[in-house]
Amino acid sequence: MSYRSAIGPRIRERRRALGITQSALAAGIGISASYLNLIESGRRNIGGAVLKRIAAALDVGIDELDGAAQRRLADDLASLAIEPVLTELRLDPESAERFASQHEPWAQALVRLHRISLDRLEAVRALSDRLNHDPFLGDAVHSMLSRVAAIRSSSEILDTVDDLEPKQRERFLSIIASESTRLSDVAQALAAFFDKAHTETRSVTPAEEVDDFLLERGNHFPALEQAALDFRAAAGIEGDCGEGRLADYLAEVHDVRVRVGPSDAPEAAAAHPYATWDPDSRTLTLPDGVSRATRRFELAKFAAQVFHQGRPVSAEIAASPLLTSDAAKRRATRVLVSYLAAAILMPYDVVLEAAIAARYDLDRLARRFDASFEQICHRLVTLQRPGAQAIPFAFLRVDAAGFVTKRYPLPHLLMPRHGSACPLWPVYQALTSPGTLVRQLSEFPNGARFLMLARTDEKARPAFGMPRRLVSVMLACDALHADRTVYGDGIDWSSHAPAIPVGPNCRLCVRHDCWYRQEDPIIDA
Amino acid sequence: MTTRVLIAEDEPHIVESLSFVLQRSGYEVASVFDGEAAMSQLRSDPPDMMILDVMLPKLNGFEVLKQVKSDPSLRSIPVIILTAKGQTQDRRMAEEIGVDGFMTKPFSNREIVDEVRRLAPE
Repeated sequence: MSYRSAIGPRIRERRRALGITQSALAAGIGISASYLNLIESGRRNIGGAVLKRIAAALDVGIDELDGAAQRRLADDLASLAIEPVLTELRLDPESAERFASQHEPWAQALVRLHRISLDRLEAVRALSDRLNHDPFLGDAVHSMLSRVAAIRSSSEILDTVDDLEPKQRERFLSIIASESTRLSDVAQALAAFFDKAHTETRSVTPAEEVDDFLLERGNHFPALEQAALDFRAAAGIEGDCGEGRLADYLAEVHDVRVRVGPSDAPEAAAAHPYATWDPDSRTLTLPDGVSRATRRFELAKFAAQVFHQGRPVSAEIAASPLLTSDAAKRRATRVLVSYLAAAILMPYDVVLEAAIAARYDLDRLARRFDASFEQICHRLVTLQRPGAQAIPFAFLRVDAAGFVTKRYPLPHLLMPRHGSACPLWPVYQALTSPGTLVRQLSEFPNGARFLMLARTDEKARPAFGMPRRLVSVMLACDALHADRTVYGDGIDWSSHAPAIPVGPNCRLCVRHDCWYRQEDPIIDA
Repeated sequence: MTTRVLIAEDEPHIVESLSFVLQRSGYEVASVFDGEAAMSQLRSDPPDMMILDVMLPKLNGFEVLKQVKSDPSLRSIPVIILTAKGQTQDRRMAEEIGVDGFMTKPFSNREIVDEVRRLAPE
């Protein structure tokens, strides 16, 4: 039975439940009892004004009679099928509709529980992030350790110095007494704080597994850096690596034909701006509507996948205990293929030297390596080889809706995993003026200061008439490193200079009186 | 000649006990309670080495360290950073700026004297 044709029975059911006769209802809404009978038995279609009057007379919403509510219920139920913890049950989204119509209250119960679990999960994550970066906790721990340091040092003097004069002995005893009192106060404040219990979280979605994987590895993969050098040696590439050189290598060694242009399957070409591979003709088709930098990067990605049968990447994936699901492994593979491609196009030592020489002038580096702004930013973040490190940068990419689409945090710079970041971050300001680099000194509630650099670029769009495709990218480093960059020139970076007061995002932020606040903080401490 | 140690730390009780143990070990000790005072002391009367707390008022310890390590006339003064929070991150940051020694609170008197002895110029 479809939803629409079920309107009649639903009216009948509701009318009976209210104890109204057919003729009384018909009279109330100004139709004949026999017409109402036809409607209730499903032999007449109904809509518009009559449906509105019946709904009003039966005191229910139209959506409950015409099936819209049930359709929503079925859709919500179907969304359970993609929950990672339920995937192995292989729930069929199609059957959700049948279940929802046959067991409506149970379906509602499931959907409600699902929503509650999502809310709780979000709250737990936010709490855990918040606890890690809470200024109160930071201060409390700092104060506690300082108290303990004074007590320990004084008591060691009392314990080990034999020739202490009575006056000195008294002095160190009184230090211990007063520091102990202060220590008790801090400990009590901490206990009160932890009355709001929290739980450890672990990553559950594939995206989070990949996130944790990259964080754990410091987003630096020595084996891939080496594979990139091996590839360059094998392909005889010295210096800059152009599109032609890569295509020649693929033709000679892997028997791959590279062409630029619309794909033979036009719908595939229009569907995305990536390269398409046809294994039968061994042809790699690069999209013709994208920038040169993107095209070259696609080519390098393909080379990264065929070089040594993709073993450099697959070995990293297989070795990580953090990547448990297949989806996470696929996702991590894509990330590492891009990593290797970037390392092929921009070898570690060459980029590092150029970056230091150019004082991290991002536009100059992009021109120097014939790369996009995003590609350069992304590569800089990976330059963390012990002994030959670049400035440690955090990386963030958002779309025009403000949604975080890629992130690489620093250990002390909290970047939200979900939704959007703080609207005061320049990555959002940059969206208002594509192509212009925005520089900002930002201060977090705990006093940490960061140099933030953001630029929005317009990517190729599928066709004229489609909206502009804007991608905003941000790099951030500790303000203490600002003077090593061109962006530090002419600005006061000291800790008392004025800075833009930012936070991680509204839910985690403690700035209660912020003009830009949209959501309430998750803990009202 | 006695080695002169400058302590920059805003907790007076820590300064007091540290001064006591360092003096007993034969060092000459001076102390300041904020970052700006540390800088002016460093410039007017440079010590042989320095113990520097991270969480200092006015200029924080990292800023002082950065100024010391980027000033050719001060660069050679060994600096021991004292930290009490976010230890791994603080250590990393201090190393990036070029710190010589690193101590976390609560330290033992012995540890800090050993570290001072290790870094004290001959």
